[in-house]
This record gives sequence, structure tokens and C-alpha cells, in this order.
Amino acid sequence: MGVSCVYMYPVPEGRSGAHVVEVLQKQVETIGGVKMGSFVVDCESYLSIMLSVSKTLQILHNTEYPASCFAVLDSGATLVADTLFNGLLSHLKAYYQARKGSKIESKGNRYQLADFVIKIGSVTLSGSFKGILVEVEYCPSVIASECWNLMKELLQSLIGNIAESPPPSLKMKMDEIYTPAMTMLQYLEHFNNFRKAAAVSQPPR
Amino acid sequence: MNKDTTQAELIFQSIHLIQKLRHDVGQVFKDLSDGISEYIEEPAEKDENDGGSNKDVSKDKAATQDQKDTTGPSHEKSEEHHEKHRAILKTLKKSLETISHDFSDLEKTGANIGPVQMFSNIDNLSLDPVDKNTVTHSQLLQSYKWTNKMHELSDQAVTILGQNTLKRTQSPKFTNVKKLKGNTLSAWVAPQQTVDQCLSVLNQDHPGSNFTWSRPLGGCAALQIEIGKTLKAVVVLRGLTIEWVKIKGFDETFKTDDGQIDIWSSSRYQVFQKLTHHAEAASLHYYAPTKPDLAIKSFVMWLHGFSNLFSVPCQKCGKYLQNNMPPTWRDYRNRKPFHDVCRM
Ligand SMILES: [Zn+2]
Repeated sequence: MGVSCVYMYPVPEGRSGAHVVEVLQKQVETIGGVKMGSFVVDCESYLSIMLSVSKTLQILHNTEYPASCFAVLDSGATLVADTLFNGLLSHLKAYYQARKGSKIESKGNRYQLADFVIKIGSVTLSGSFKGILVEVEYCPSVIASECWNLMKELLQSLIGNIAESPPPSLKMKMDEIYTPAMTMLQYLEHFNNFRKAAAVSQPPR
Repeated sequence: MNKDTTQAELIFQSIHLIQKLRHDVGQVFKDLSDGISEYIEEPAEKDENDGGSNKDVSKDKAATQDQKDTTGPSHEKSEEHHEKHRAILKTLKKSLETISHDFSDLEKTGANIGPVQMFSNIDNLSLDPVDKNTVTHSQLLQSYKWTNKMHELSDQAVTILGQNTLKRTQSPKFTNVKKLKGNTLSAWVAPQQTVDQCLSVLNQDHPGSNFTWSRPLGGCAALQIEIGKTLKAVVVLRGLTIEWVKIKGFDETFKTDDGQIDIWSSSRYQVFQKLTHHAEAASLHYYAPTKPDLAIKSFVMWLHGFSNLFSVPCQKCGKYLQNNMPPTWRDYRNRKPFHDVCRM
């Protein structure tokens, strides 16, 4: 477990997402990355139906932590639970119901480079491609402020100036001991952005 | 080399002489049997009928009978017999002379052959027909050669190490015994109170670090140091001498599943594996048997230099990463950070 930074990598106009992913993968392999399996981070939204003001509960999973389930409230309060929590949720149907078509996931190859883990994921929202997320984890360190400059060097060699500053959701917690939930919050932030963009480009009929 | 070849020649000569000797002796027996049987063929048959048990006796008998028989019929025949007898005796004598000559020759050559150096029983093993099909003998020879070579090399190593003044090994062969009688031993047998006191002082001197120590086996202290939130180290002390160092990440543990202290396992991160190597080297660099407290103080100070392991760039190349690793080396004097490949 170490510090992770997740960035959205834009797909230029007229290029296919698959092609850009391929270029990124080649780049990682060129700097010495070795493919070590694949990964999936998924997220589903649940809406409260009992309350007058509807509140959202986000349920996330990460193959890096296969025994855990992450539940995030609008406030950012995060619960890290066993995967048994999934079963519990089905019993809470009277209070929380899954929002249709909210299932979003980032899926791709996982690379090992010395003590770094690099993940290049294609994001799909209810089946259609939405963009690319690049995650770089530096495993030996647990304090983001300590290893940020070091990570920046690797990130910039990979995705350029996109990684000029730490991810916004991490900025407040740079001196804290890093936890997997912080990675999930970064993913959630990106997922929400993708959802918003999808809602704008395809207004509900 | 030359000696060996002459030895081999001598052995070859001896074998040749032995062969000749055997041939000569064989010839004598052949002459003896041929020569007499030629003359006593007929009487011998008679003798057989008599049932003569001793051949020599029968020969004598035959000869006397011969003489008795031959006296009557013809005198010429007995003359011939005498001549032949003489001829036989002559060749016999000649053969015996050759034998005695060859024998003395063999004795002379044999005396010149030095004793063959017997390695051990393995030479007898090579003669054992049962082991002909196994490889034991050749393997033994091979390992013998290796041990010899090892002996040679270790002799050279002793010579080289003997010139080195930095020694930790307590052996009269390596270290001057008189020197050891001084403070050196106290570094190993320092009383627990002294060690505890020294470590407490170290703990106070490094506010960013956390020192804990235990004595799982009684005598030696296993010291655990946490430096900031960057790394953990375990240092095993014999008295005040550093015996063992391991470095791991902040999220790793030095405890086994059953709560025992684990000084053996390595970090799963490359950067801390590298750091462990460097710390081992440093523990030797700071080794000072006459001032053990100073040695451990310097070592801890140097180790403390890694508190900024992930946050400072290399002093030489100015980069954070080299080969995807942060600057894992700290200078012994000024603790400035360098990449492993940027060290001067
Ligand atoms: Zn360097």
C-alpha cells in the first residue's frame, strides 16, 4: 500500500480511445514497466428514497483490495467494509435503490515498475467508452507530501503537464497517512465528472 | 615435471625388465622340461608304470637305468648322451646367469624409483573392479582438486586480509591479541544498563524517531527504530556492537504472525532492500571497537539521514528518480543524498 495519484488523460479529437490506451501502454513498457495482470475499479450510485432531500450513496470496488467494499456519502464520509456489505445493501432496498445506468468502471492493464504500480484504465459508463484514467502508485511511501515530487517526475514522463499538481481531493490530505479510501475518492471524483459530462451531452429525453 | 618423467621412465624400464626376467625364467623351465624329456622319453614311460611319485627321483632312476641300458648295446650312444647333457647344462647355466644378471639390473633400477606418493585410500578405490562402473573415484579426484585450489585461494585471502586493519573477526590469526585485551571486548560484553542508557540518550537526540528495544533471547538487544513516517529499521546489538540491520517500509512489520520479533525477512519494496544493503555497509564503516557508543551514535545519525528519503533530490544529478528509485545513498560524512549510481 502506498500513495496513489489518479489523473484523467484526455483523448484528442479524431483519435479512438483504444488507440490512445495502446500508446500509453507502449510508453509504460518502454520505460521498463512489466505487465502484472489487470484491474477494475467500479462504482454504482444508490439513491435514498425515504428522505425528503434525496441523498446519494456510492458503492465502489477495487480489484487491488478484493476483500473490501467502499461506501461513500455525499459528504465524502467513507466506510470501508467487507464485501459482505454488498449483501447487506440488497436488504436495504426499502431505503436505498440503485440508480439505473449509473454503473461506471475503469478497467485495464496493471504494470509494475520498480516500486511503482501503474494502471491505465478505460472508463465505460453503462457500457460505452467515456475516457481514460491513469493511476500511478508509489508503494513504499505512506505520506503524499513526502513523495509527491518523486511521483511527479514519473507522472510527467508519462502523461506530461496534466500532473502539474496533486489531485484536488488529495491536496487537503497531503500530510496524512495515506489510505486506500483516498484512492477511491479520487476515482469517485473522476467518475462523477464523467457522469456529469455524459448528462450534459445527452440531456434526458 | 622432469623428475616425474624420469620416474615414469624408470618405472617403464622396470616393467620391461620384469617382463624379460619372467621370459627368461619361463625359458629355463621350458629348457629343463624339454631337455630331459628328450632323453628319457622311453624310460619315463616305464617309470610311470612303476608309479614313481617324485619326478626328480624318477629322473635319477631313469638316468641310472639309462646308463645301465646304454652300457651294453652301444658306446657311441652314451657318448652322444653325455655331449647333449653337457649342452643342456651349458644353456641352463647361461640362462641362469642371464636371470641373475637381469635380476640385479631390476634391483638397481628399482632402487632408483622413489616411493610413489599415495594420496589416500581413494587410489585403492580406483583398483576396485566393482566401482569401475561408478563415478565415485573421478568425483573424489575432482573434489580433491577443488579443495586443493580452495586451500590455495584461502591462503592468499589470509595474506591480503592480514594487511587490512579493519577487522571484526576475533581470531588471533587476524587480530593482534594484545590489542584485543583493551577496550574491544567491552564493546561486546557491555552491561545491559550501559546499553539501555546509551539507547535512551539516542532516543532523546533524535526527536523525529522512535526507539524501542527488547531482548528476546536475553543478552542481545533488538532495537527497532522508526524514522518519521518513512521507514522502520531493526538493529541487533551484541553489547554495543551492531550485528545485524534490516530496513522496511512504514507499512511493513518486524513481527511474525505469532507476535515474535522477525529480524530475518526482507522488505517487499526494492527501495528498502537497497537501503538494507547500504545500512549493512554503514554498520561496518562506523565500526569502532574502542568507542562502541560513538559507533552506534554515528550509525543512527547516518540512518536518520533517510528521514527525507522520498522528498529530496539527488545532490549530483538534481533528480528525484534514477532507475525509478529515489536517492538511496547518504554520504558518510555529510549525509547528503545521492542515487546509487551518482555516488562519488
Ligand atoms: Zn543522482
